[in-house]
Amino acid sequence: MATHKVKLLPEEKSVEVPTGTLITEAAISAGLEITQPCGGQGRCGRCAVKVEEGVVRKRSTIRLNADDLESGWALACQSLIEGDAVISIPEQERIERRLVTEQTARAIELPFDYIPAETQSIQTRQLSLNPPTLDDSQDDLARLQGALQELGYHPVEISLLLLQRIGPVLRESDWKPHVLLDAPTPGSGPARLIEIGASPFHPHGVALDIGTTTVTAYLVDLISGKVKASAAEYNGQIARGEDVISRIIYAGKGNGLSELGTLVRETIQIVLEKLQRRTGVPPDEIFKVTVAGNTTMIHLFLRLPPETIRLTPYIPAVNHPPRFLASDLDLPFHPLASVDCLPGIASYVGADISAGVLASGLSENDALTLFIDVGTNGEIVLGNRDWMLTCACSAGPAFEGAGVVDGMRATQGAIEEVWVHSDTFEPTYRVIGGEKPRGICGSGLISLLSELFVTGVIDRAGSVKLDLDTSRVRQGDHGPEYVVAWADESDTKRDIVLTKVDVDNLMRAKAAIYAGFSVLADSIGVDLADVQQVLVGGAFGKYINIENAINIGLLPDLPWDRFHFLGNTAALGTYMGLLSNELRMQIRDIANRMTYMELSADNSFYDAFTAALFLPHTNIAHFPSVAKIWGDEVDNKKEEK
Amino acid sequence: MTVEIPKEKWSGQVREVTIGATAEDGGTRTQTLTIGGETTLPFLHFEGNIPHRPALAIEIRDRKPDDWSPILMETWGEAMESPAAWAKAAEEAGADLIYLVLSLTTADGEENTPENVRRVVREVLDATGLPLAVAGPGQADIDNELIVPVAEEAEGERILLGICEEGNYRTIVAAALANNHLVQSKTPMDVNLSKQLVILISDMGIPLERIVMDPTTGALGYGIEYGYSVMERLRLAALQGDSMTQQPMLVNPGAEAWKVKESKVGEGVPESWGDWQNRALEWEALTASSLVQSGADILILRHPETLKRVKAMIDALLATAA
Repeated sequence: MATHKVKLLPEEKSVEVPTGTLITEAAISAGLEITQPCGGQGRCGRCAVKVEEGVVRKRSTIRLNADDLESGWALACQSLIEGDAVISIPEQERIERRLVTEQTARAIELPFDYIPAETQSIQTRQLSLNPPTLDDSQDDLARLQGALQELGYHPVEISLLLLQRIGPVLRESDWKPHVLLDAPTPGSGPARLIEIGASPFHPHGVALDIGTTTVTAYLVDLISGKVKASAAEYNGQIARGEDVISRIIYAGKGNGLSELGTLVRETIQIVLEKLQRRTGVPPDEIFKVTVAGNTTMIHLFLRLPPETIRLTPYIPAVNHPPRFLASDLDLPFHPLASVDCLPGIASYVGADISAGVLASGLSENDALTLFIDVGTNGEIVLGNRDWMLTCACSAGPAFEGAGVVDGMRATQGAIEEVWVHSDTFEPTYRVIGGEKPRGICGSGLISLLSELFVTGVIDRAGSVKLDLDTSRVRQGDHGPEYVVAWADESDTKRDIVLTKVDVDNLMRAKAAIYAGFSVLADSIGVDLADVQQVLVGGAFGKYINIENAINIGLLPDLPWDRFHFLGNTAALGTYMGLLSNELRMQIRDIANRMTYMELSADNSFYDAFTAALFLPHTNIAHFPSVAKIWGDEVDNKKEEK
Repeated sequence: MTVEIPKEKWSGQVREVTIGATAEDGGTRTQTLTIGGETTLPFLHFEGNIPHRPALAIEIRDRKPDDWSPILMETWGEAMESPAAWAKAAEEAGADLIYLVLSLTTADGEENTPENVRRVVREVLDATGLPLAVAGPGQADIDNELIVPVAEEAEGERILLGICEEGNYRTIVAAALANNHLVQSKTPMDVNLSKQLVILISDMGIPLERIVMDPTTGALGYGIEYGYSVMERLRLAALQGDSMTQQPMLVNPGAEAWKVKESKVGEGVPESWGDWQNRALEWEALTASSLVQSGADILILRHPETLKRVKAMIDALLATAA
């Protein structure tokens, strides 16, 4: 097959690729990165590159307008190299959100009295063996196993790696070796020998939360039980798809699965390096790793084909993965460290929720509790100590700033809160970092939507009222829109707007989440008003204003003191599972006890969704406090007329 | 042994809506049309109150249509040459309401104009004493441009203005408010969407007594069961007291039935389909009579013979109540 020379600007890197190679593939082979938020499906338009010379075959040009095409723009994930070409890659979006998890992690306290001998599976012991003699000619291994059996560890598995070392170590330690064991049920077998040496071990473990967006790790001292340091990093897979579905699609292409597995390992490596810098503990002194993540993240981490997760009847390869060795998974921990992936419930409710429920205390509480974890997907659990019902709703990434024209992550320059004047419709806003705005982040979008609704700039269906007497509303390139910041006050020198399409995306996201609550509650005949506490997990909850979230019908209209924001419950639950065998068992029980509802197979979901696709909801009776504010606002306007 | 028929006691009632104004109320209509008011499901007279019978409207156009079935063209014949004559013929055929649909273009292919639609509406109002409904051609911008002059021309006549949809209702509702008319709110076969549009329209300040909801339907064999079920659920919700579903319902079986192959095509179809004309009429009549039973308060029809058949069916169902 013919090959062509492709030169990539501005790095001036050249590669030879065969006919029919995608520009994205050419870039990867040149060691360059082109962001593909939609996973290379050609839907998002964010991988646009400029073809300076040569011709490429464009399978799709969605989201590029005639001017763009005229000046050579093409979608990198949809355009094939068919001759020599020179291609400019624009500066890729920098990922620079404040990693909030680093702040919250520090505040984490030991959640219970930790007595390692009673609850920890990683045990350290010093043994005292009788040295061999001509009369006592037992071999080294049998001698070691005999000593372990006396302590209650029987049988004990031993790997070839250790067997190769025991002879010298036993003699070097003068037959008083230090051992490090993995004994999931302490005091009785089966156990596994992880390490043996002449000097004592100080074991460490890692609680790892693999999020779709962020990977968080806590380095834990397994003697004291304390978190020595925490670190977080963007999941390197983001560039191959922003949500789980895009990643599953990407995993199905070529060696996408292997690539995604490698990307998350690279991220874990970066996180471990940060932890080592902060604590001096090298990765190979980490003997136990407990992992949480949604079902797709766990599949990609274990390099299990995730395709069936997105196809009916939505069956994952595994919900309760067995334990693995770090060396089997090609991870930089101690090669014999046990890697324990926490159990999930179903394809769209994963181990992060099992762990989150443990951390939230829901499963031990008498009060009727609604637990929600909103990320790219929204997972919901309703129940108490006696019963738990769960579902997942695909909220999409709108609240994370994606799928919105001027949406962005919560970083420097993001508008995080907006107020709109009810007579002039003029906005005031607050920007993260206090500088000129560049876009609007999730909390800003919720606040803006709430304000536009309450002041009547949009109607209850989310349509922009173009007949208002203000230049803030206008017909834009993408349909009707509201201007939040004029070009001269923005950092981008462009107007920052919220379009009707953006509003629709936000409405769909909030409707999916609210419909999730209501279907769960209806299915067991509980009235949402009877929910005694609402626990909000995930980074999402930290910055949103409850009033705004209720105004738009994202959260149920309950007294504000029933809402509690818990931060990263998945990481906290994983930490608890790392420390305690008993709590680890509880996570398994939680996963087993939860009843999963597949909303895509539930007829009532669509009805609940369309009912929620309104501000705040079609049945305003469910939102008495909103009916009141909004009713007053409407009455005032009518009087003015 | 006597059999006691179980009776449901509903808490809600469909709103009464009156289209048209006589001289007494500031209009020029010789009769008005009141619909709604039911406190039970269709034709369950033994259980509740059904003050008004389902009304039948005939659809006419502001000019002779280019794409109607030859069966319809033949039936209306000369009358189609002028909206006034067509309206008159519809009145003679027994219609309770004239449903005038404006065209996108004139017969010469020119854009329809405010002046033209004013003239047509004036002629129709002068030609018949029946109450009137007027709908735009179905393109948001043009609908708004044409319905405003219609509303002004018919000021005081309490006509029904259409068609309000979620993405385009504000101008039409404002025109209805300014000239004392009613509005038709149309949503695509969904209970929640129907409710939502009624809420949006009433939020603009128009009384609920001036909103007729069109839940959209399909022809027999083309989704009627879905439309039927949505109407049934809307009516059940209304009777259960859900205020925003208590508008009387209007549906358009005529337009739906006359666009399906069974009624449109006379040649190259299986012989077993039978006589074309009869089949086309049956299609419209069966579609309409099913919808009568799902709670429709106004049915828009195209063929005068269908109107006769549906009317006969309604008469028969009412007779058993007497």
